Amino acid sequence: MLVIGERINASNKSVGQAIASKDEEFLAKLAKAQADAGADFVDVNAGVGFDARENATATMEWLIDIVQRATDRPLAIDSDDPDTVQAALRKYRGDTVMINSVNAEPERLEVIGRLAAESQASLVALLMGKGGIPSTVEERLAASEVIMTHLTSLGVKEEQVFFDPLVIPISVDSTQGIITLKTIEQIKSRYPAAKTVVGLSNISFGLPNRGMVNRAFLLMAAYAGLDAAILDPLDAKVMSLVKVADLLTGKDAACRGFIRAHRKGILAD
Amino acid sequence: MSEDIIATLKENVIQGRKSLEDEGIDEDLTGTPGVVELTQSALDNNIPLDVIVTQGLTAGMEVVGEKFATKEYFIPDMLASAEAVGAAMDILKPLLDASNVETKGKFAIATVKGDIHDIGKNIVAILLRGAGYEVQDLGIDVPTEKIVEMVREEKPDYIGLSALLTTTMVNMGEVIEALKENGLRDKVKVLIGGAAVSDEYACEIGADAYCVDGFHAVKVLDAFHQAKA
Repeated sequence: MLVIGERINASNKSVGQAIASKDEEFLAKLAKAQADAGADFVDVNAGVGFDARENATATMEWLIDIVQRATDRPLAIDSDDPDTVQAALRKYRGDTVMINSVNAEPERLEVIGRLAAESQASLVALLMGKGGIPSTVEERLAASEVIMTHLTSLGVKEEQVFFDPLVIPISVDSTQGIITLKTIEQIKSRYPAAKTVVGLSNISFGLPNRGMVNRAFLLMAAYAGLDAAILDPLDAKVMSLVKVADLLTGKDAACRGFIRAHRKGILAD
Repeated sequence: MSEDIIATLKENVIQGRKSLEDEGIDEDLTGTPGVVELTQSALDNNIPLDVIVTQGLTAGMEVVGEKFATKEYFIPDMLASAEAVGAAMDILKPLLDASNVETKGKFAIATVKGDIHDIGKNIVAILLRGAGYEVQDLGIDVPTEKIVEMVREEKPDYIGLSALLTTTMVNMGEVIEALKENGLRDKVKVLIGGAAVSDEYACEIGADAYCVDGFHAVKVLDAFHQAKA
């Protein structure tokens, strides 16, 4: 299971403030801490700071620079604005990179898809179009078809695509957990080379004891075929469950990773 | 008798029990009348509409709001109560329309252009409906022009704008500017909400208020409503 560290996100209050006040040290530390905790990718969402939209690109470039100096882990460029994504890709020096995200809207697929093809970036694709999050598995699969057809026509390879089946809080609609899981299963059978990814903590929004809900859902999703999760790598309990998920789904030969984590003393019950 | 029905109605709103079949927040309530049945029997006993609404439904939702604020209640609890009140309002709506009982005002709500988040917006709409406002939901990704048009045509007292993204919250400011340009800004109070925005942002773009959540929105609107009266 690939872990995409979610902490550097401008919509988080303390990160938003750090970006606004140009607190480089805070942001560099947060990047390094996530990498040290085992994040495979570090997500970078610069928002628009507290200024106008024109500054979004400049803020992203500034932030990319800080994060890549703090860690050599690959970055996930988190923006839906093509200009910002393009600027970030130029600024970024690493080879492996992810773009987060695109959806099934043709105009956005066209522009962001081209950027992904050029830079051979992995691309998170949300299974929805203009009308918001579809409530059924079928509608989400229809979105996957639009996305894959368009992206492959631009030269993006199937294995570059990370489909996000979308997670709606279970507190709002109790049927939605299963719908996300079934969508993951279906995507994996339709596009075996493509990957799946979820923003994990959405599932528990509005509930008490969110951690245990997140962890249980991670295991269920792993069984359904989940390849990656956007989560908080500084949460030792959820990171332990990532190890357990790999262990139980045949992704940890001879249980090496799990036992190594035990020896390092990083497993948290 | 009447007082009993209203007290039980309020209690069942707090329990989030729409009907007989619901177990409620406390267990073992299945089989006793829920909000729908109690609303009907309140009508059968000729209890005035405004008493049913204010002392039964709204009073119950106020308690739910307090429990939510203190984290005794969570989103599913709140939604169950709001749905129960919504079902009661469906029964009462035709009667309210035919009577002189006035709603507290007309409230329109929209997620702004470019933003497709609807969960928070829907919760706010449900809660304000339950609190006695006439609510019109314009949906998600609503173009600025459409909001302006709506304000001009339908003359709502309040408009709520939602945005969850730092990239779309700027469109709230755009709506306010467009209302000014069209000479409509002083006709309507503008409230904003959503993960990306704050009190400071409300000030910056010249909104009338920032609301943390749906219950806060009810409080803010009630304050505006009372100031008007």
